[in-house]
Amino acid sequence: MERLNEENLKELFEKFLDAEQAESCVEDVQKAEEILREHPAPEPDAMLIANIKAEIAMRLPARRAYVFKHIAYKTACAAAVVMFLTAIGLNLFQKGPRKPNGMQLTSIISTAIWESDDIAADDADLAIFTTEIEQIEDELMSLQSGEDQGNGDSTITELEMELIEINNSDFWKG
Amino acid sequence: MTKSDDLAQIIIGCNNRDSKCFSQIVDMYASRCYGYFYRLTGNNDVSDELLSELFVKLVEKIASYKGGSFDAWLFKIASNIFHDYLRSKQRRKKLLDVQKEQIESQITEPKLSDNEQIDKLQIQLARLDADTRELIMLRFYSQLSFKEIALMRSEPIGTTLAKLHRGLKKLRELMEG
Repeated sequence: MERLNEENLKELFEKFLDAEQAESCVEDVQKAEEILREHPAPEPDAMLIANIKAEIAMRLPARRAYVFKHIAYKTACAAAVVMFLTAIGLNLFQKGPRKPNGMQLTSIISTAIWESDDIAADDADLAIFTTEIEQIEDELMSLQSGEDQGNGDSTITELEMELIEINNSDFWKG
Repeated sequence: MTKSDDLAQIIIGCNNRDSKCFSQIVDMYASRCYGYFYRLTGNNDVSDELLSELFVKLVEKIASYKGGSFDAWLFKIASNIFHDYLRSKQRRKKLLDVQKEQIESQITEPKLSDNEQIDKLQIQLARLDADTRELIMLRFYSQLSFKEIALMRSEPIGTTLAKLHRGLKKLRELMEG
């Protein structure tokens, strides 16, 4: 048999023994290995080698199928895990009624109107009513201060009529 | 291209499930591995079985080879297969209530089959203890360095050297005596 493991045996033995002992050991090893080379073991039968090669060839497709199945199972498992985690993320497994996320209050009147001082521009009805109130206030002030010019009864009557008209109108109903 | 480059290419082919590359591995290693099994078992039929098992294992395990000495990796598998065989043999023998010493002597006891000659070496190998016999065969057929053998056997290199030296010296004496 061809020697493949070319080592410096003497150097190796000298790590543990003195030079003389190492040399003797190397000689023992080399002579014994020479005996082994002189008595070769039988060679494997050609039929055996052919059978081994045939068996390998037979096993390779089966192995390929196994690897494919293995990859398919792994992929399926990974997909199941991803789906499960996604479902958890989307709260699909939450029991009971779903809680509201909190109440948000908002005005039906826009902020612009709330913050505006220009009533006439925002609401025509309110502007008219405000004008009438101001008019009534002026008339009441006139009566109280005696500035009315001799037609007091008619003024009061007129004022009462205006108040009744306001009371009967739909303005207060919004 | 060097021999190791060739081997590396063949191993890549094996990893790609190329049956021709596996056939090349069989051609390269069958003789050495068969010799290893034969010298340990002393039986052609058992050696045939173990060699077949080795190459089937090679197909199954080739993806786990991650570089380094391929020979060391392959002979480690061969060694494991031999030990499994020994254990199964021992289990069978235990059932028959036969002692371990008898088993080991029977394992290496050469058996004659048709046209088979028992060589002197096989008879003398049977006189060595099992561990020394295996170490000598591993060194001779795997062609591994002492360092690699020590690593494979998980023992200090000095221990491997001493055991092998003692074993070879004894074998030489037996053969020359």
